[in-house]
Amino acid sequence: MAVTTEPSRPAADDTPTGTAGGGGADPGGRVRPRRRPRPTAGRVLAWTALVGIMAITLFPFYWMLRTALSDGSVLATQPSSLLPVEPTTGAFERVFGLATTEEAQAQGGSGAAISFWRYLLNSVLVATVITAGQVVFGAMAAYAFARMRWPGRDAVFFLFLTALMVPPIFTQLPNFLLMRDLGLLNTYPAIILPFFFMTPFAIFFLRQFFLGISSEVEEAARLDGSGHVGTFVRIIVPMSWGPITTLALLQYVLAWNEYFWPLLVGSAQDVRVLTVALGIFRSQTPQGTPDWAGLMAATLVAALPVLLLFAVTSRKIVNSIGFSGIK
Amino acid sequence: MSSTAPSGPALPQSPAGDGPVPVPARPPGRGGGRGAQSDGARARQRRENLVAAGFIAPSLLGFGVFYFWPTLRGLYFSLTDFDFFSAPAFVGLANYQRLLEDPTFWNAMRVTLLYVAINIGVQTVLALAIAVLMHRLTQSTFVRSVVVMPYLVANVVVALVFFWMLDAQIGIVNQALAGVGLDPVAFFGDEAWVIPTIALVNVWRHMGYTALLLFAGLQMIPGHLYEAARTDGASEWRMFWSITLPLLRPVLAVVLVITMIGSFQVFDTVAVTAAGGPADASRVLQYYIFDLAFQRLDYGYASAVSVVLLLILMAVAVVQLRLTRANESDLG
Amino acid sequence: MTRRRTPGRAARAAAAGTALGLLVAGCGTTSEVGEGGWEETGTLTYWMWDSAQLPAYQQCAEQFEADNPDVDVVIEQFGWDDYWDKLFTAFVSNSAPDVFVDHTSRYADYATRGLLQPLDDLVERDGVDLSVYVEGTTDLWVGPDGSRYGLPKDFDTVGVFYNAEMMADAGYAPEDLWELDWNPEDGGSYEELIARLTVDRNGVRGDEPGFDKTSVATYGLALEGAGEGFGQTEWSMYTGATGWTHTDQPLWGTEYQYDDPRFQATIAWWRGLVDKGYMPPLAQTVGGSVDQQLQADRYAMATQGSWNINNLTRLQGIELGTFPTPVGPSGERAAMFNSLADSISTSSPRKGAAWAWVKHLGTVECQSVVARGGVVLPARTEVVAEAEQTLAATGVDIKAFTVHVEEGTTIPVPITENGAEVNAIMGPAMDRVVGSTAPVESLVEANERVNRLFGTADPQ
Repeated sequence: MAVTTEPSRPAADDTPTGTAGGGGADPGGRVRPRRRPRPTAGRVLAWTALVGIMAITLFPFYWMLRTALSDGSVLATQPSSLLPVEPTTGAFERVFGLATTEEAQAQGGSGAAISFWRYLLNSVLVATVITAGQVVFGAMAAYAFARMRWPGRDAVFFLFLTALMVPPIFTQLPNFLLMRDLGLLNTYPAIILPFFFMTPFAIFFLRQFFLGISSEVEEAARLDGSGHVGTFVRIIVPMSWGPITTLALLQYVLAWNEYFWPLLVGSAQDVRVLTVALGIFRSQTPQGTPDWAGLMAATLVAALPVLLLFAVTSRKIVNSIGFSGIK
Repeated sequence: MSSTAPSGPALPQSPAGDGPVPVPARPPGRGGGRGAQSDGARARQRRENLVAAGFIAPSLLGFGVFYFWPTLRGLYFSLTDFDFFSAPAFVGLANYQRLLEDPTFWNAMRVTLLYVAINIGVQTVLALAIAVLMHRLTQSTFVRSVVVMPYLVANVVVALVFFWMLDAQIGIVNQALAGVGLDPVAFFGDEAWVIPTIALVNVWRHMGYTALLLFAGLQMIPGHLYEAARTDGASEWRMFWSITLPLLRPVLAVVLVITMIGSFQVFDTVAVTAAGGPADASRVLQYYIFDLAFQRLDYGYASAVSVVLLLILMAVAVVQLRLTRANESDLG
Repeated sequence: MTRRRTPGRAARAAAAGTALGLLVAGCGTTSEVGEGGWEETGTLTYWMWDSAQLPAYQQCAEQFEADNPDVDVVIEQFGWDDYWDKLFTAFVSNSAPDVFVDHTSRYADYATRGLLQPLDDLVERDGVDLSVYVEGTTDLWVGPDGSRYGLPKDFDTVGVFYNAEMMADAGYAPEDLWELDWNPEDGGSYEELIARLTVDRNGVRGDEPGFDKTSVATYGLALEGAGEGFGQTEWSMYTGATGWTHTDQPLWGTEYQYDDPRFQATIAWWRGLVDKGYMPPLAQTVGGSVDQQLQADRYAMATQGSWNINNLTRLQGIELGTFPTPVGPSGERAAMFNSLADSISTSSPRKGAAWAWVKHLGTVECQSVVARGGVVLPARTEVVAEAEQTLAATGVDIKAFTVHVEEGTTIPVPITENGAEVNAIMGPAMDRVVGSTAPVESLVEANERVNRLFGTADPQ
């Protein structure tokens, strides 16, 4: 039951003809040359499907970029142009707050003031703290649900499960009132707290992975004198690093994209997060016509940090997730 | 539903282990050591309970304060005529009675179910396809990054981008349709199209994310199973049905429960695009609740509808978990 | 910008709908409405939604602070949809802004719950002269209980915008457009114009033989939506010109009249424009905003509010003109008239300072700053000319909008209680009629449901 983290795969795997992954425990090591499967009709079809899906996935992003680089005020004149209409970086200047009010309005923007870097910092702070809390507390709870036996466990788990089903519309206002009563409005804690301690999803998600880990692993650890804390910290967490990283990333994205709650409790300038600031591009524009160029530019800019984060961590996920011999 | 002593069906993979009584050399068939508990075992159990309490405490705090208590209040308000600004008067089940006779509610129910059916159906199939394609074809981080990209963009923004791209008159999709000689489709303006459109927009955003979750599950499937099957000359198709799907089932169940619950709560996309229209064709439950509570300050009634939504979701979760038996190892 | 639409509609628009819903949540304490206080000093919070006007009001705040060194005015601005959500939450949590920009379609809900400070005593005490305001504006802010809940800041009416180039091609001179008449039977010379401006993809006009209504390149008239219960910029200029009114009395009526034959005939005519190919099908109007379509040459004309002048004239690539809504069977034109106002929260601890600020917003000093902002028509009669000049610089004939005020052909925005409920019924009902999935007669039933809210439905 050796828990071995697989070394990075050879680069060949990244090519279309690479061997199917799937843990790919290759007993022969790297000495034996990998058989490259012939490009059968099925494989060609599969690749076509995958490439097709990727194209469908990417096109809207291209369209965002194309729109962001257009001059918002003339955008509607050439709806079918695949290239930006009267290309300009004006929309990005608006996002970074570099354009004057007049410039912004001439291009269909609102001209409201924006301190981009401040909002970015707030977003990073808020999303990081929320994610840290959710992952740590979520993993702890998931462990207690999955690998420990205690009275009321199933009942509590079922209750937690129902939390997943409570329509957010149901809880947000009381939570708002609570924040007000605690005097926390327009502070970081107000934005963070309701998400910090628990999100049913994290517990549910990790518990499912913890369940899949063979109990022999931890029993062995127990024999070595580890208590639950030790087992959790030294065995379970390292073994589940892949799911945990995945979860962390997903929760980070969720926290990053959260809009209404921070708008509610943290719209003041000094704690305003990026999404709230970006609302400016949405509904502050004249006559309900979104400043499409500005909005798309803002969206790209707001998504960029998360995209980068993903680009960095996804490799880590790939490399850490390939266990062999767990079962 | 649970007790301290091991109860319920002892399933081969009971993950909780048989904690209380560690037996040095565990025989393969578990279940030994379930005899009378010694004082030492009881003490150990007490210690274990304490440790468990410690593990669970932060989550319990968050749950109690930010989920449980507000929900209880919501339940209470569903029995009142609360309108936010005056003291709530108890009205018994009047709100629930009204609900039975409210055609808009039943329409919202129908619309929501249609949405969920399309959204979950298409999304699950696509996500599974993507996950398996990635799993069997390539480990490429690039591919994975691409498919999950839509999820990195906020809901509201995704809705807006598609609203823009699918515009009946100047959207690029209709421009393309016109280019090949087709009539424009009013994706968000046509009563027949609006729900399928919104459902597919959300499929676009979530399929990669769902695929990633499934992919993580696929990674847990030992690769040697595939190697062995391949040696036996099994086709990819056959391996999918005999290896991938059965072993993925617990993860698939979790993912289904979560995506379906999320699907029932669709709101942002509707609010940003069709806003319930045309003629109630996109008035999903959550949007109806929002409308009642927020636009019409009818909080008591909105709470009643929320409670119904909550009950539906709980039923969905229970049924699904039973059907897929993902929880057989503990909730049974 | 000043989107003076009705609330339900607003919820969609700017997209903002957003996550907003989350808000409503479950609710909370029974928040008793705070009593507030009458401090004269401190930091005043002022909320508005129109970012285009923010600079003007910032300037007003500076004027005010110079005169009142003990008061700081902090202006906070949120887009239209977020605005009402935030305001609602703020009221619930007793943290409402001291003063805020208010909308006629919204204030009844707040006023009847005691959230707005009645201004009558203050107006009387300080001898505020209400006659300086454009006629009709102040009346809109007297609530169902007879108390005054806001001092007007601007006003708006509705007119017709047209693509000047297309109009010239169609053979109309700008002055002809002031002579148009309309009736619900054949649409009069107004419909002739709409038909003439409609062009199919083969270049055939809507009034020429061989016109292909299934393949229209440019619609003569824009369609923005079915108009819910008000039809402010959609159909109220026609129904109003038949002499029909929404309710049994101009303000705070208790009986809607959607079952009136004049109303139904007008809607039937209006919907008929879609069947004739002169106006786009309702389904196609979801999403694309009218200004984008004008810009893309999809529409030749659009009925729009005066608050949109600044926005529309900024559109590049097209030149727009304006003319007033046509004369109807009543012998007069009609245009819905609305006004925004500044309201004070009951719970404000510094209502003394708040009142001083509200008064300042109504001074010539501040109002002419607003006028020069060139976005809206200010509520003070004496500075309207100034705003007209600013707007004239954009090349648009503002008279098309103000003529209604001069000639007394405005119809007040139909304020009643249960506004949100009325639109919840009428929105889908009008969608079905205009979308041709229900006959016009179905509005009789809708009318009954509406009047049941007021207990004035005809017993069946």
